[in-house]
Amino acid sequence: MTRLAISTERLTKAYGHINAVQQLNLHVPRGAIYGFLGRNGAGKTTTIKMLLGLVRPTSGSARVLGMDTSTDRIAIFQRTAFVSEKKTLYPLLTPKELVHFSRGFYPTWDDAAVEKYSQLLEIPMTQRFDKLSNGNQTKVFLLLALAQGADLLILDEPTTALDPLTADEFLRVLADSAIERGCTVFFSSHQIEEVERIAEFVCVMDRGRLLLESRLDDIKGEFRLIIAVGNSLPRQTSSQVLSVVADGDCCRYFVTQDAEGFAAELAREGATVTQVASLGLREIFLHLVRKEPPCISGNAGATLVGSSSSF
Amino acid sequence: MYLWKCWRDTRWFFVVFLAIAALPMPMAAFASHFGTVIRDAGPMAFQNTFMMVVTAVAYALATICAIQEFTDKTAHFLFTKPRSRGYFVWTSWIVGFTELLIVAAVNLFVGWRVLAHYGVSAFSDGGPQSWNLVSPQSFIEAAIYACFAYALTFALAAILRSGLKGLGASLGLLAGMVGASVALQMRWKIHLPVPPQQIGHLPLALSECAWVMLALLFVLAAQLVVERAET
Repeated sequence: MTRLAISTERLTKAYGHINAVQQLNLHVPRGAIYGFLGRNGAGKTTTIKMLLGLVRPTSGSARVLGMDTSTDRIAIFQRTAFVSEKKTLYPLLTPKELVHFSRGFYPTWDDAAVEKYSQLLEIPMTQRFDKLSNGNQTKVFLLLALAQGADLLILDEPTTALDPLTADEFLRVLADSAIERGCTVFFSSHQIEEVERIAEFVCVMDRGRLLLESRLDDIKGEFRLIIAVGNSLPRQTSSQVLSVVADGDCCRYFVTQDAEGFAAELAREGATVTQVASLGLREIFLHLVRKEPPCISGNAGATLVGSSSSF
Repeated sequence: MYLWKCWRDTRWFFVVFLAIAALPMPMAAFASHFGTVIRDAGPMAFQNTFMMVVTAVAYALATICAIQEFTDKTAHFLFTKPRSRGYFVWTSWIVGFTELLIVAAVNLFVGWRVLAHYGVSAFSDGGPQSWNLVSPQSFIEAAIYACFAYALTFALAAILRSGLKGLGASLGLLAGMVGASVALQMRWKIHLPVPPQQIGHLPLALSECAWVMLALLFVLAAQLVVERAET
């Protein structure tokens, strides 16, 4: 049995001249909660659709639970639950009827889970789906996904349009159930805080390219912000210095790999290093995907991917 | 489970169609002074009612049944279930087709019972056809046309991902076929058969089977398109 729940190899999807996903190599370990971060239009949904066979890749391959997505779709769906970005279900059916509808598809269906999560999430089970609030509609999706008894949960921006309280409750139930059942959770989001809260592994994608994929703790340990003051400070980006923002004699460096060594080098050249700060996931994400030239010229994708991989 | 969902989606329409199928002949009998007109023109009314009802219900059921999943934006939910897309297409088609058969059977039964109640024979005995006796063949042809129209409309609705677009395309295509047939006949004396006409020199029964097979091919085409569709 492979130790990866999801793996892709040079997965690419092009719509005409537009490359929605380019040469994507993902490695999602089994049993992990994996956050798939990116801006709107980064290629997250297209990637998920390719993993589920809803969209055909232009080139490359993907494996889910060790099975080829192009040939083993039905077998993959038996063990994979999916919460779509479009939270649309049959409007005239009640959650109770949706449970009845879904139950027949899965031999691993868990009625006790339906009972547990419908109470925990306070879902009105006899109200028509189209009469439910956005939050409750999303909870119905989660309920159906959890009751399926799947080995892998794929969620595409599950908390979009949820209020903070409902999103918090949703994430808590998701994380608890994943830990309890030992299943893999792969979820896309542009809500950095929620990824940081529950994800063990994080991937950052932008404009169809993978910028970063690693353990969250490794990512946080990898990047540093160095603030230095001095004359003629270096202002070039490199594989180590991903961006430089200069303000007079003061420079702010966004550095990966051996930040302390870089700070020491600046000090040797006569600069005063005022701060070497660790960064939160938000700052790291913003530095990586920001449109300003310094970050782009650093081309984080080519150097960062795999640099700290620890699978 | 999907069978249950298809039934649930169409059940109220089905009840309405059943009422439409069952009521015309008794109402006509009641309105025509308890059978006076029925005795004179009943069989012809029976035939015309059958043709209109099964054709209208065929179009309506195909429009309602055909792959609501695309129009409802629920394709992601359904197509990530562990079943082939072909299963969903054919299940949806079979539910609608079964309902169409039941509607046709109810219409036939009620019409036959109403005529029998007034002592009228509905069908000719194969001899020279009287103006108020109809041939069983005309009922078969109406049923085959309904089957063809249902399958074509269903397939086009699935392919175009919209019931109404499918209905429009189907009506347009069938009207185009009739127009082309008439034009070819008038201009070049070429006979282009349209459903449910006899095809060339094939025996009538074989021609009818050919139209039914063609109808099934439309559904197969829809299956292939849906299986390859990106959603």
